[in-house]
Amino acid sequence: MKLLEYEAKTVLGSYNIPVPKSSLVDDPEDSIPVPTVLKSQVPVGGRGKVGGVRIVEKAEEVSNTASEILSLTIKGHTPKVLLAEELLSIEHEYYLSLVINKSAAVIELMAHKEGGVEVEEQSNFKRWPIDDQNTANVAAELADYYDFNDTENLSMLLTNLYRCFTQSDATLLEINPLILTVDNKLVAGDCKMTLDDAARFRHPEWDFEEAPANANFVTLDPHGSVATIANGAGLAMATVDAVADAGFTPANFLDVGGGANEASVLAAFEKIMEYPNISAIVINIFAGITRCDEVAKAIISAKDQISDLPKLYIRLAGTNYEAADELLTSAGIPLLPSLADCLAAIQENSQ
Amino acid sequence: MNHELFTDLQNVIVQGITGTHGAFHTGAMVAAGTHVIAGTSPNKAGQKLDGIPVYGTITDIKKDFSIDASVIFVPAPFAKTAIIEAVDAKIPLIVCITEGIPVHDMLIIKQHMQEKSSTLIGPNCPGILLPGRSKLGIIPATMGTPGSVGVVSRSGTLTYEAVASLTERRIGQRYVIGIGGDPVRGTNFIECLELFEKDPAVSHIVMIGEIGGSDEQTAANYIAASVKKPVYAYVTGHHAPSGVQLGHAGAILDSADESAKAKTSALQEAGAVTATSLIGLIDQLTSDIKSDHLLQ
Repeated sequence: MKLLEYEAKTVLGSYNIPVPKSSLVDDPEDSIPVPTVLKSQVPVGGRGKVGGVRIVEKAEEVSNTASEILSLTIKGHTPKVLLAEELLSIEHEYYLSLVINKSAAVIELMAHKEGGVEVEEQSNFKRWPIDDQNTANVAAELADYYDFNDTENLSMLLTNLYRCFTQSDATLLEINPLILTVDNKLVAGDCKMTLDDAARFRHPEWDFEEAPANANFVTLDPHGSVATIANGAGLAMATVDAVADAGFTPANFLDVGGGANEASVLAAFEKIMEYPNISAIVINIFAGITRCDEVAKAIISAKDQISDLPKLYIRLAGTNYEAADELLTSAGIPLLPSLADCLAAIQENSQ
Repeated sequence: MNHELFTDLQNVIVQGITGTHGAFHTGAMVAAGTHVIAGTSPNKAGQKLDGIPVYGTITDIKKDFSIDASVIFVPAPFAKTAIIEAVDAKIPLIVCITEGIPVHDMLIIKQHMQEKSSTLIGPNCPGILLPGRSKLGIIPATMGTPGSVGVVSRSGTLTYEAVASLTERRIGQRYVIGIGGDPVRGTNFIECLELFEKDPAVSHIVMIGEIGGSDEQTAANYIAASVKKPVYAYVTGHHAPSGVQLGHAGAILDSADESAKAKTSALQEAGAVTATSLIGLIDQLTSDIKSDHLLQ
């Protein structure tokens, strides 16, 4: 789950990590002290380049500028609020982030001397494994690399960042830029933070604007012609690959999950019906925990309840296959022996 | 990973034996030949499940039995404690089926396991099937048939697909190991490849990867350097969009070198046979095995 900048900065603030003084603006007529930086709160990067971040010096221009940014759509997202921040006097901008190195199974600190918006184009990031024992040492090395003399200040920042990262169940915490002000303070200029959805059970306090993305149903091309329903991420991806290799445009990726049942499969059909150009639905289930007869019941209900259902190409295997075969055969719905047979049948029917 | 872990496999316990999945799959494991001697459930100590005694803790089980392996079904919020309990009890082989364990818990577990003797498979995996011998986990045993192929996969359903296709073509398997779909996990491709390479009973290797992470590249380097047996590899997710999680947590394409295409090329360069579909790969393996037999 990705947080918006203001949400991430609220989390940082609660761990004593310095952030600029700010207020949230949802009405352009709100009183906003100047000078200020107005920042669109959208869940995408690159907003500065398209006018989503603007400095306002004059009081009479604040409400017009706020109104413009509030109505500016950036990569499909229109902000609900703006963040109005104090203008900092910048001495230097650095890059700093905490990430999880998956293969080494450690948390890493990544740093670059030059922060700012173009950092994605930078290379030569410095990396250190970081844990609750070594923050002082890493801070000393980081201070040396940054050529920054206040090691104690950096050490405190790293200790707080590490606590924030682990206690918040974050998988990414990026401060870019990390601003060094002219009066020698380190302040988080911008912050990107991603939280681990799996840890929601221990975070009753999580209440953020963006709903967590549904990883099990992903639209690939809303104008695609073939929809897919499969179980298990691997088989679902393999099904999408096979549809594309057969020359069709897959509309979606769908993993109905290990415990797929009648209700979850029926819900999937309803989502697929929102696509305008679907001519075929491929159902590819290899049941382990899942039971084929449950899936078969869902297919039969879908046929009954959805009048303009596109043609179904179904391949089932595994647990309770025989029961499913019986149910579908008596409902007059044919089964195909393999995914390849499903795709061949679609090709035949589309000619 | 050493093959004695599997050849010496006798006493197996199930952590979370009284839960829905735990109870159901304990029955299936017993039916597949696994010697399940006991289980744990914090509030049901003293009860029995189909004649199998239930204990409160592993320490209590160890008073009555020695333990070779544990299969964990406990829910995600309690899984970290369960794995650490098994590690501290020095259980040689731990298979964690549980899905949805927070990644920070896995980091703590991996840290804790350093210098310890246990091998962890999973989490978020279907476990291990040793066709004709036993199974630890949820892979339907009837899909497999004994033989000499070693199968390792990050994806559960593609594991089933591979094993069922092999069995259909009368090609038996020595090991079927699902290492799981989480980004941070206990055992990786390399340990399984090492096991397959060293066990003389394995003749061919099937490896199934996914988008996300760099484990397939690491495996490719290992294959090039240390694996002499023929490897057949398939990587799924050729048409995955970047930056979007697909199903389980590990399947996310963060950079170009995590793509199915990049991983497939790396495996190909390492000498593995690759294919654009899993069935295509199994067909290739089948025809290679058959022509080998004709030559002999």
